[in-house]
Amino acid sequence: MSDMIKEYLDRLEKALSGADHSTISDARGDAEEHLRSAFDAAPLESPEIPEDETLREIIDDYGTPEEVADAYRRIEKFSTPVLAGGKANGKRSAAARFFGVLVDPRAYAAMFYMLFSLVTGIIYFTWAVTGLSMSAGLALLIIGIPFLGLFLLSVQGLMLVEGRIIEALSGIRMPRRPAATRKNLGMWEKFVSIVKDRRTWKSILYMIVQLFLGIIHFTVTITLLSFSLAFLLRPVLEYSFGIPMMNIRNVEYWTPDWFMPFMVLFGVLLLVVSMHAARGMMRLHGRWAKFMLVR
Amino acid sequence: MIDTDSANRKFEKELKSGTAALILLGVISASGRPMYGYQITKEIDAASGRPEEKRLFRQGALYPVLRSMERSGILESEIEPSVSGPPRRYYSLTEEGGKILEDWKVTWKSTKDLVDDILKGNDDV
Repeated sequence: MSDMIKEYLDRLEKALSGADHSTISDARGDAEEHLRSAFDAAPLESPEIPEDETLREIIDDYGTPEEVADAYRRIEKFSTPVLAGGKANGKRSAAARFFGVLVDPRAYAAMFYMLFSLVTGIIYFTWAVTGLSMSAGLALLIIGIPFLGLFLLSVQGLMLVEGRIIEALSGIRMPRRPAATRKNLGMWEKFVSIVKDRRTWKSILYMIVQLFLGIIHFTVTITLLSFSLAFLLRPVLEYSFGIPMMNIRNVEYWTPDWFMPFMVLFGVLLLVVSMHAARGMMRLHGRWAKFMLVR
Repeated sequence: MIDTDSANRKFEKELKSGTAALILLGVISASGRPMYGYQITKEIDAASGRPEEKRLFRQGALYPVLRSMERSGILESEIEPSVSGPPRRYYSLTEEGGKILEDWKVTWKSTKDLVDDILKGNDDV
């Protein structure tokens, strides 16, 4: 049945060719969600009809790819003014865009997350590795299974919190509620549904990888930050504290006075670049988290 | 010679595209909780009470309307994973969306009254 859905999505994409990239991905996402939701609900209503027939009817109700594509194109036309407004906004001078990052709260939040992710990375990694190995060890005993269940539940909870942190700091939408589980399931069925859920295992992978990402985030950010501060604070260090720029084999190297302004200027530029870097890394990390924790 | 069939289709199409947004807002607002696309189309089907082939709206045509209302801030959405199948996008009205719906209801009522009055006049003749 998934073949029919995939074929429909491809036809829809073809019908939309030339449209905005995000429109195409919206349309594909909407159609897939609808068709699969409808198909999931169908057997309850009419169990006697064969699957292919049901799906054909569902697709028929949804509309031909051309009809649906047409609807998206019509709406796209209407919403252009909003996009145009965004573009006018983007017309700020290159300098304004470059230095604008200094007043962007997101950039500071991103920098905080970059430093903080080393800590969460260590916690997640330890938790995931401990949980997995204890579950494996205890699998010999009867308490292995409830232990694994509790561990997987804790993973869901932790990753929900991680999602909330990412959303708060980056503005990228993450789930607000735990995955809906049907209420009428028994303990065992609930356990099976968590174990079979791909997201559970992707979450654990995310937790393990977070340590390495955290190390990279932390190192890059702290390096950029300390370099910019070292340049920026050169006059303070040299004039007020008498600390030379370099000291090689007891020969002290001082910045020439005429060069000092350039040092400070370079420090400022590097600081702005670091903030851009933090914001960029946060964006990438948000996408990664969304891919691992939501889909 | 006028092609009545295509004239009818054009009229219906324009009427539908004009009211789709109002209907969607109405359904979501009435349910009082976030809804995903398939739920919304189900509600509309149930309310239209017409045979399937005469379905008022092509279901696929409703999704872009939801998207555009989200873009303009009338609706907000969040994606939630579901137990089976793809994650679902749940739509709910923003505060502004609630106000807009109230305004639209007034506009709809006065339009409807006007059309009704005029058509009634026609029938009397």
